[in-house]
Amino acid sequence: MAELRAAEGKSDSQVTHQSALMERDGVLCNAEADEYFMSIKEELNQVDRLVSDAVNNLVINFGYISNLTKSHHEMVLAIEKMAAPEGSKPILELLEKQMVIADKIEQELEMAVTSLQFGDLVTQLLAHTTRQVEALNIELQRIERQGSWKENAGKNTLGTIHEGISKAVNMAKTKGKRKPVVQQGMQMGDIELF
Amino acid sequence: MAKTILAVDDSASIRQMVAFTLKGAGYEVIQAVDGQDALDKANYHQVNLVLTDINMPRMDGLKLLELLRKLAHYKNIPILILTTESGDEIKAKGRAAGATGWLVKPFDPKRLLEVIGKVIG
Repeated sequence: MAELRAAEGKSDSQVTHQSALMERDGVLCNAEADEYFMSIKEELNQVDRLVSDAVNNLVINFGYISNLTKSHHEMVLAIEKMAAPEGSKPILELLEKQMVIADKIEQELEMAVTSLQFGDLVTQLLAHTTRQVEALNIELQRIERQGSWKENAGKNTLGTIHEGISKAVNMAKTKGKRKPVVQQGMQMGDIELF
Repeated sequence: MAKTILAVDDSASIRQMVAFTLKGAGYEVIQAVDGQDALDKANYHQVNLVLTDINMPRMDGLKLLELLRKLAHYKNIPILILTTESGDEIKAKGRAAGATGWLVKPFDPKRLLEVIGKVIG
C-alpha cells in the first residue's frame, strides 16, 4: 500500500509530490480494494445461488418421490384387496413386504426434510458474511478517506496502517448484526411453547 | 373442513417443505414470502394458525407478530415462530409480542405436526 512508503528525510517539495502520489495511489488502492470486496461478495452470492438452486431442485425431486410413494402405497393396498379373496399367501406376503418398504421410504423422506433445511441455514450465514465483508469495506474506505496518514505524511509507519485496519474491523463488528445461525449441525432444533 | 395455516418464510425451499409436511397431514396451506405478504394475506383469509420465520426482507417476523396481534381475528390465533434464531433475548421479544411458541430450525416434520396439533386443538 502507498501508505507504507515512508517519506522521511525529504525536502518540502519532495514531500508535497510524495503526498500527491500517495493520494493518487490511495484512490487507486481504494478502487482495487472495493473491486476485491465486490468480487468476494459476488462469490458469496454465487455460492448462495448454487446452494439455493440445488436445494430447490432437491425439494421438488423429494416431493415427486413422496407422491410416487403414496401412489405405490395405494396400489399395494388395492392389489392386497384383490388378492385377498384368493387367499394366496405368497402374494399377500410379498405385498406385506412392499408395504414395509413403502413405509420405510416415507420415513426416509421425512428425515430428508430435516436435512434439506441446510439450504436456508447456509443462505442466512452467507448473507451474514456478505454484510460483514461490506461493513469492513465501508469502514476501511472511511478510515482511508479520513486519511490520518495524510497529516502524518513522512511519519507513516506500518503501525498506523495496522491501527487503521484494527479500527475498521472494530467498527464493522460494532455495526454488524448478530449472527442469525448458531447451529453447528443438522440435528432438529429446540421447541418451546410459551 | 381442513384447518388453514399461513406459512411465512422468505426461503422458497423452507416454504415448500413446510407445505409438503402440513398438506400431507391434511392442512390447507397459504404461503407468504415475508411479513408484508403475510399481513396482506392474513386480511383476506380465515387462518387458524400462523407459522412464521423471523429474519425476512421488507417485514420481519416479530413486526408481523406485533401487527397481527392488533387485528381482532388474530388476537387468539396461535402464532408459532420457526427460525434459526435461538437466543434468549430474541425469544423473550417474541414471547412479549405474543408468540405462542418457538421452534428452532431445522424442524422435524413429525415434531412440527405434533406441536401444531397441540396448539391448534
